[in-house]
Amino acid sequence: MKKFKITAGIVWAFMCLILIIILFPGLNSFSSSASRLSFMRINPNYSGGEIARKYITENCTVEVHKPVYDGLLKERKRGFVQVDWRGNLPETLIDTIDYNLDNSPDFILQIDRTNSETELNPMSQKVKDVRISMPVSYGWAVRINLEK
Amino acid sequence: MDNTAVTYKMKKTFGKSLLYTLPMFIITFMFITGGKPDFSDPSTALAMSITFLGVNVLYFLMHYTGKTDRFRAVLFIVFAMSLSFTLISNMLETRDAMSFSRADMLECKIPFCHLVIPMMIIPAAFTRSIIFPGSIIGGFADISSMVILWLAATLVLGRGFCSWGCFYGGWEDGFSRFRKKPVIKRISESWKWMPFAVLIMVALTAALTLVPTYCDWICPFKAVTEFEQVTGVASAAKAGIFISLFGGLVVILPVMTKKRTQCSFLCPLGPINSVSNKVTPFAIKIDKKSCTECMKCVDTCPLFALTPEGIKAGSVSIFCSKCGKCVDACTRNAIHFGIKGVPSGTMKNFSRNLFLFVSFLFIAVFSSGAIINSLQSLLKLIF
Repeated sequence: MKKFKITAGIVWAFMCLILIIILFPGLNSFSSSASRLSFMRINPNYSGGEIARKYITENCTVEVHKPVYDGLLKERKRGFVQVDWRGNLPETLIDTIDYNLDNSPDFILQIDRTNSETELNPMSQKVKDVRISMPVSYGWAVRINLEK
Repeated sequence: MDNTAVTYKMKKTFGKSLLYTLPMFIITFMFITGGKPDFSDPSTALAMSITFLGVNVLYFLMHYTGKTDRFRAVLFIVFAMSLSFTLISNMLETRDAMSFSRADMLECKIPFCHLVIPMMIIPAAFTRSIIFPGSIIGGFADISSMVILWLAATLVLGRGFCSWGCFYGGWEDGFSRFRKKPVIKRISESWKWMPFAVLIMVALTAALTLVPTYCDWICPFKAVTEFEQVTGVASAAKAGIFISLFGGLVVILPVMTKKRTQCSFLCPLGPINSVSNKVTPFAIKIDKKSCTECMKCVDTCPLFALTPEGIKAGSVSIFCSKCGKCVDACTRNAIHFGIKGVPSGTMKNFSRNLFLFVSFLFIAVFSSGAIINSLQSLLKLIF
């Protein structure tokens, strides 16, 4: 038993040595495999959620994300929807957004990019207020607070 | 018994030390230069050469002098400082500030670090997602790579990660060496359980809010890396907490106590790494036959891993980070690096050589990128 323990300990130590030697050259491959694991995606509270609708206007592309209500065990009562504008943006952005894809407008957004003023006109009681409206590297992003 | 004779059992001759350094020399050459050293940019070539030679000289000295912690600490401290320097200079270059904006968070551009791991476990299990505004793969400090690096290091080194891999630990390790003798000598050992409480608190609050609460509100190392732009009362309070905790737990208390107080009393990753000490093949062992119970090792341990009762019983607690400080302090070589399963007091040289190779290789390669970057920036500033 003593000899077995010694051998097992040394074998385990050498396996660890091999692991460290292959770790750095294989890091890209290991991390690429890890990134495919089902939980390896950014929580929608940070990423803004999946894109539900995308349409192209004269100068830019508008992306409307799926509304995010994510909680730990169940959906929360309060959430948000993210809208992104990409491309060559005009000074003023005006868009009517249907976030729940029921073919009826839910809110109208008017953004003056020169002074970052954002005006929200809710057309649904579920639409509350503006959480974030700011320039980003790809254009402009807005998050609107929602209630279920 | 002649103490000095025992002390230098770990010491090797110049030739033997060179021989032991040769594999490290070859492997670090391959990993640091990619096997093809590029001399087209003199500053890169110089920074790479200094880093490569520096790490190998340290490894050689570990064998030649028989001392571990002294040379580990040099690399560990340089790593911590280089990483902060690289990160801050990168941010100043790209953002003109040490803080990140909400836009960076919206675009998931925040570099990931291992301290987020304790908070992402429960949400990952329930929501199948990571509660951090970073990049899953690609870019600087992506989530996949950092998790893989930490997992491998923790499996191999256990809490040794805290002394051979954590790029924050070097800060307080450095400050804990400022004074020869501690000003505060007695600290209740029960404080060492505090990180378990912090872990439970941040894991639960992160799960409930889906926000990495430790990073958001507590992490002292935000003070030397990056923090949220101060735009209101909440962000100003956060910045105040980061700076106060850094000043208190990473600078002042380590100087006063000669202990790594943030690692011992606050870090939520410490408990997970401590538990993983049960899995790793390497451990610090006490040779009861040689031990005189002088308790020098207990006094010198920076993480409260050794207790007089433990020494008498011949056991080292799970808090041990295998820094080697106790091994260096023991004049009788009674406390030593060992391999689990191998009885204490036997195969001391073999166990130390194997552990040093594994742990040093990890820190040498892991730290080299940050050290090269900092050296490059310094060289550009000078010339």
